[in-house]
Amino acid sequence: MRLKFSPRLISAVIVALIVAFVVQSNWGSASVSGRTIATFLVVGIALGGVYAISAAGLVVTYATTGIFNFAQAAIGCFLAFCYWQLTVQWGLPTLVAIAITLLIIAPAIGIALDRVIMRRLRDAALVVQLMVTVGLMLTFMGITLTIWPPKAPRSVPHFFEGTKGVQIGDVIATWHRIITVAIALLVAVALRFLLYRTRLGISMRAVVDSRSLAGLTGAKSSVISGASWSLGCMTAGLAGILIAPETGLVVENLALVIVVAAAAAAIAQLKSLPMVFVGGLIIGLTEAFTSVFLNFGTDWNYAPQAIPCVILFVALLFLPQARLETGKVRLTKRTERLTKPWEAAVGGGVMIVLVGAWANGWIPWFSGTTFGERSAVWLGRGVGFMIVGLIMLSLVPLIGWAGQVSFANFAIAGVGAVLFSHFGGQNGSPIGILFVMLVCAPLGLLIALPALRLKGLYLALATLAFAEFTDKVIVRHPKMIDPSATGVLFKPLDIFGIHISSDAADRKAFVIFLVIAFALLFFMLELLRRSRWARRWIAMSDSPAASATIGINLTTTKMAVFMLSGAMAGFAGCMLGLSQGALRVDSFPMFIGLPLVLLLAVQGVRYPVAAFMGLIGLASFPALSEVMGNPSWLTQVSLIGPGLAAVAMAYRPEGAVFYTGRDLAGMLPWRADAREEKALLDQRTRDQDIGRDDINDLGLTRAFTREKVAQLDRRLSISDAVDEHPMVTSTGVAK
Amino acid sequence: MTALLSTNEVVVRFGVLQAVSQASIEVHAGRVTGLIGPNGAGKTTCFNVITGLQEPTSGKVLLEGVDITGKSPSKRARLGIARTFQKLEVFGSLSARENIMVAAEQRRAWDKSGFDPKKVTDEILEKVGIADVSEFMVGTLPTGTARLVELARALATNPRLLLLDEASSGLTEEETEEMAALLRRLVADDGLGILLVEHDMSFVMGICEFIYVLDFGRVIASGTPAEVQANPTVQAAYLGTESVEEAS
Repeated sequence: MRLKFSPRLISAVIVALIVAFVVQSNWGSASVSGRTIATFLVVGIALGGVYAISAAGLVVTYATTGIFNFAQAAIGCFLAFCYWQLTVQWGLPTLVAIAITLLIIAPAIGIALDRVIMRRLRDAALVVQLMVTVGLMLTFMGITLTIWPPKAPRSVPHFFEGTKGVQIGDVIATWHRIITVAIALLVAVALRFLLYRTRLGISMRAVVDSRSLAGLTGAKSSVISGASWSLGCMTAGLAGILIAPETGLVVENLALVIVVAAAAAAIAQLKSLPMVFVGGLIIGLTEAFTSVFLNFGTDWNYAPQAIPCVILFVALLFLPQARLETGKVRLTKRTERLTKPWEAAVGGGVMIVLVGAWANGWIPWFSGTTFGERSAVWLGRGVGFMIVGLIMLSLVPLIGWAGQVSFANFAIAGVGAVLFSHFGGQNGSPIGILFVMLVCAPLGLLIALPALRLKGLYLALATLAFAEFTDKVIVRHPKMIDPSATGVLFKPLDIFGIHISSDAADRKAFVIFLVIAFALLFFMLELLRRSRWARRWIAMSDSPAASATIGINLTTTKMAVFMLSGAMAGFAGCMLGLSQGALRVDSFPMFIGLPLVLLLAVQGVRYPVAAFMGLIGLASFPALSEVMGNPSWLTQVSLIGPGLAAVAMAYRPEGAVFYTGRDLAGMLPWRADAREEKALLDQRTRDQDIGRDDINDLGLTRAFTREKVAQLDRRLSISDAVDEHPMVTSTGVAK
Repeated sequence: MTALLSTNEVVVRFGVLQAVSQASIEVHAGRVTGLIGPNGAGKTTCFNVITGLQEPTSGKVLLEGVDITGKSPSKRARLGIARTFQKLEVFGSLSARENIMVAAEQRRAWDKSGFDPKKVTDEILEKVGIADVSEFMVGTLPTGTARLVELARALATNPRLLLLDEASSGLTEEETEEMAALLRRLVADDGLGILLVEHDMSFVMGICEFIYVLDFGRVIASGTPAEVQANPTVQAAYLGTESVEEAS
């Protein structure tokens, strides 16, 4: 057999070399003895077991519904708190509490999610599916924080706490850990049995492949998706209850197990349950190995926390290339016309006038408040909101047009801020900004590289992993951000004699500078949308297969949009650094990337103006709060708000900007075309108002009435004028 | 004369299922070749192999005698292969005009004749007869019209070989006739080679000069429309007589 230098083999060698190097250069003082090895194995396997359960839940929901549930761990967290309430607070016996949590509360959540939200997401765009579950994740975290405010530390007792456990060599494996591993194995076997050996499980998997075919075999898709989500929530709860004693009952810790679970799930290619277990073990053992044998020193102190992300990234390298699928095109019924350049110019002008007027105090509203009086604090916030807006703007071509869902742009901005503090920022040089943009452009590309050949979901996961890696490894190195440095790292930027900096006196100029930059970029994007570049990106996103067959090179086309987006994020990063003055190592948590994309997606990810609406929406919360005298309910609304937004997205996937834009355009006297189109579209939607479930169940559990047949015909654009339909003749159903 | 396109004993296996087995077909420039067969006969898989969306398990695809089996779909487009899809693969969030523009602009990457994509787009909109809906987003168009957009998009790459997967489905009778006339013009005036997958038999028999019949991934018959229609194996495959059931 000929030795083939496949990309996989090369990746494997490179990864092995890097691992060897990292292990070699960070070897700690621990000696390799029976004791250390036993510790490593006991801790590693127990961790692996928990990760495996969490990941198994992810894989089960993905395999049976086609939706990757970012809220998985957050739901688990909520359920772990329920369990704590039942046992520790109300003193119920452990088994009763587990039964109530996993058999009553979890399925209830699952069924509710399925009914209210998930069913509407089946045929939604990837970004909508992802954003809805991200929104749910934030909501479950918010609800948990609201019900159980993090005032006092809480802890969940281990199972059989106080007993000694089993001695393996010199190390004691607690009963809790043994039970955890046993349950993990049991869950893997049970789920595998359920999915491959039972009628319900087989139907569950069949529904994902083809809902209509599964329907023909008598599977009721409505029951099945409810069962899938219940099952997902139950495994989430189980993982939460088992992890909570180890991590402590802390919302953030529990909810972010999602990253680890995603890594284990990626190793399993999101489908194989036995491999989920292997994936969990790989991560658990790596973490244990690192903590026992390696010592990263102070420079790379946080590196061990990034292990799951690195493993996720590596796993992506070994996934098989996605095939160019056909027949998956979603034809959304929406009308839209291109924004004309003069309209975009007017829009940009309005933005400048609006924000500029506020910054200068020309708007007389709320003059009694610090918001209305635009105190230094508020101007500082204004700067912050504008920068968030800039980052959102950088996502429009990437996510909205090219359909590449990335959570990494905030991290890229973070890297940009750090770079600017080293190059150009400390002497107020605008050339530095250009330099940072030039570095950030390929950085955006670098993240995407391993995922370019994979399907969109993996790209989203890769960007998440990158964001975590940046946060935990890159920016925390003292060479990047020196934690001992005090004072302002940046000299004010001098633009035509006007100073821009974090200094209170310069903030007004900063806000105005940012809104002008924003408006210019907005205008640029609108022009770009009319260019061949944007057309190609949208084409690629709408149908990759068709794009390839008209000669579009998908890889280079994707690379171009990543570079554009990276450069824009780099610019935002420079502004971010400049506005903060001093950089702290914890300024760029990976987590921020998620709500940022959600904020844009709710407004409408295709439209540059959505970034502006998003930042206004973001600013309106503290502004409203202050104007209304800081009511406490508003804080709670802001905690649960993302979830409401998520629900809204399930119902209005195009985003608020699109729907309000269409309605507003219809009100303009000279836009008769908008009114006509809307009427036409509404008519067509009414004609075709036959649900997917309806179609699946027709003839099986629902009668083939004349009316349904007519609706079906219209939906399929069958326009024959034959009165007697062959399927419903008077003599009965034809052959 | 070398055929414009020939497939050489192409085999595509999905697990144990043999979707295409040793299919050898030829398409010549300047005529319409038909590819027919019952559902699941492997017609679309053949198209995917020819355009590079599906790697064959074995066998070769030759374009004017040159082996293109390992080439990517976008490379093949540059060599002059264009196609439409059975299930619509239009760019639904672009207007009809933009759908065609994308292809025309892309063509500039390899066609250095200095044409103007805008002009080409206008010509093709006219030619295919969708100029009046050119500003509508394709997602809002009826299926039949969207199919014409797909055809127009394929033409915008200026192909030598055009693969049409169920060109007439979703079209009204009138539109089908227009489509037939258009295809005849493309073949006669521009010298295109067209390979047509189609269920509408009168359409196929009326327009094709040569027809291949696929069943269970195998070419079971080929010849002129008259020969194919008279072939007992073909009739058996379509009507499912007992002799065929026994044979399989």
